[in-house]
Amino acid sequence: MFLRSLAIQGSWNYRTMIGGGFAFTLLPVLRAIHRDRPDALHDALDRHRQIFNSHPYLVGVALGAVARLESEGVDPDVIDRFKSAVRGSLGSLGDGLVWAGWRPVCALAALVLLYAGTPWWVAVTTFLIAFNAGHLALRGWGFHIGYHYGLSVAAQLRRAHVTDTSGVLSAVGAVLLGTLLPLLIAAAPPDPAAALPWLGAAVLACVVGLRWGNRVRTPAVLALFGAAALALVARVLA
Amino acid sequence: MSLWVLALAGGIVGLDGTSFPQIMISRPVVAGALMGWVLGVPAEGAALGAIFELFHLGILPIGASRYPEAGTAIVASVWAYAASGADPGTGFLMAIAFGLFWERLTGASVVLLRRWNSTILTLGEPRATPGSIQGRHLLALAADFGRSALVSVVGGLAGASLVAILVPYWPSDGDVAEGMLHIAGVAVAAGALTIFGGWRERWRLVLAGVSAGVLLLAVT
Repeated sequence: MFLRSLAIQGSWNYRTMIGGGFAFTLLPVLRAIHRDRPDALHDALDRHRQIFNSHPYLVGVALGAVARLESEGVDPDVIDRFKSAVRGSLGSLGDGLVWAGWRPVCALAALVLLYAGTPWWVAVTTFLIAFNAGHLALRGWGFHIGYHYGLSVAAQLRRAHVTDTSGVLSAVGAVLLGTLLPLLIAAAPPDPAAALPWLGAAVLACVVGLRWGNRVRTPAVLALFGAAALALVARVLA
Repeated sequence: MSLWVLALAGGIVGLDGTSFPQIMISRPVVAGALMGWVLGVPAEGAALGAIFELFHLGILPIGASRYPEAGTAIVASVWAYAASGADPGTGFLMAIAFGLFWERLTGASVVLLRRWNSTILTLGEPRATPGSIQGRHLLALAADFGRSALVSVVGGLAGASLVAILVPYWPSDGDVAEGMLHIAGVAVAAGALTIFGGWRERWRLVLAGVSAGVLLLAVT
């Protein structure tokens, strides 16, 4: 089930989200439980392919719990209500912990290493090992507490201080981003003899980014396209 | 440079983005470096991947949100750079600019694939069977691999042509082009502070980091 969970988002769609993947991942367990009862197996698969969503690294919490509940013969309505109750939490907890926490922290660490002059393979390997140590540990932990605690897994999630961990990662990310900024600014000047205007432009770009946040992405990309297009047109006309 | 290599790399990277196994070889900083290594330009691939990563630090793949697909775009960009034979600086600018455009299309292809998945998962079946659950899920995985390979090949070929045509017209040396990339990258990377709480909440930590960065510059 753990290996199958690595592909749980394989059939992601706007109707059932990871519903199809959930049934796919749970299939071996359901087969074992309903070994001589094909109708019960089909019913269970029908139920579990319905709409469900979760962060992929925390879906083990739901999978482990559901595997346990199914093996104990718990009423299907109870299982469905459990899934509906946890899916929002597993999504938002995972988004804050991983997409807005662990992943950008690891990416920033790799970028700092690269821009500080470390060989590329060191930065890339460091990123992959560090990130996936956390990734796989989180998946395994999710399965463990899901199967161990079943219906009461929500209380365990609260006790695990996931939100606190997200806060710490967010703080670390801010420090790493701050560390990266001078390295990027120093990389901007093409000619040390004429560095000042470039450094000034880079510092200004940095201040604009810090002030306007993610909204700066589209204008920055358009400005890059515009500057490149202008230079090319000027060259062609000259 | 074999197109099969491009297709395979794009397929694997695209699959990793969402479907399987999400170990982040699809991150630009990784995919760019690995693609460059495969094509014999590892340092350039890593540089392209790092710059592209700056533009994606603040993008979060949350829920049903629609976002540019960076992995296949950087694979196409690195191919475009390597295949065009352009010099590093100007070639970087053109390849990254192409990638930032191409990722919109690759992101749109993800949306189309997800809509197709909605249809495929329930087509002509009143009741789920183990075979159909497994078969349809694996079909969706195969479709994602195919989609990723296709957008990478088309992007790589289009990008290489564009880069090769435009680079000779660049009016100055490659360092200026690379400088422009870094200035845009600084702005976007700084903007990613939003995901960590923004300037008002994190300015002390950011300044602490800036001090560390300046120290790092002094010693390296």
